[in-house]
Amino acid sequence: MRIPDISRWMWRADAAAMSRRGFVRALVAMLAGAAALKDLSVPGEGAAQATSSGMPQPDELVDATLKRLFGNRTFQRGDDKIKVELPQIAEDGGSVAISVDSSLPVGGAVAVSSLYIISDKNRRPMLAKFSFTPESGRALVATSIRLATSTDVRVIAEMSDGTLYAVVKPVRVTISGCDLPPQS
Amino acid sequence: MAEVGRVSIRLPSSIKQGDVIRVRTLVMHPMEIVQRDKANKIIPKNYHFIHTMTVAYNGKEVMRTELTQGVSQNPSITFPLKVDKPGKLTVSYGDTNGKTFEATAEIKFS
Repeated sequence: MRIPDISRWMWRADAAAMSRRGFVRALVAMLAGAAALKDLSVPGEGAAQATSSGMPQPDELVDATLKRLFGNRTFQRGDDKIKVELPQIAEDGGSVAISVDSSLPVGGAVAVSSLYIISDKNRRPMLAKFSFTPESGRALVATSIRLATSTDVRVIAEMSDGTLYAVVKPVRVTISGCDLPPQS
Repeated sequence: MAEVGRVSIRLPSSIKQGDVIRVRTLVMHPMEIVQRDKANKIIPKNYHFIHTMTVAYNGKEVMRTELTQGVSQNPSITFPLKVDKPGKLTVSYGDTNGKTFEATAEIKFS
């Protein structure tokens, strides 16, 4: 079984650790990224409206989704904080049970604001977003999702201070849950 | 599907004050997926799926969820709720046909 490679998400942090110059460069890059994110906020809202009007969002690769949702922020490994239960082999991609439980706080100074479920190889990788409040008590959720093919599923927790924790799990899918035969 | 929009809520059998309970909900909905023509282009139309779920407890919104077509047919969602006082739990779903489906449950301590 393939072990998900999280290290490529970390390269920016590693570069920053190397030298002071590297750190300054990374900082400048991050600030530029934040500025770019601000500029992009309007198309983001447009995309949300596209969802609510019933039209699917355009197809995109997972990197584009992550950029759209999180900008250039780096991800931290969340394996010890977030527990994700997914089958290793899913026979029916149309309904794959996923349950997420995390020990991250939902109230207080730094709390979980949202959990995202993202599937790398779906044509529209963003599957669901769950936003919590202190009244939730705990950041946990369970649902069933559609997977197009064997893929990595990412669960990303966004904290109120902008920190992102990610967990990646591979799932093998026998029958696709997304593809309908083409219509004439 | 005549029963589209039927919402059911399941609560734990025994709830104590201050507990964080897991509430299971199920809504009957087709969650229509994208159809493509032979050129693999998306057929433009109003796809019928649920895009939001909101949870309110005693009238206060406690959770908001954005769903997409990547969620299975007849979505079942389990979510947490911290119960400090008894009250009314409302779960409502909004779909792309502009309809909202709602169900309520009474939470009492035992």
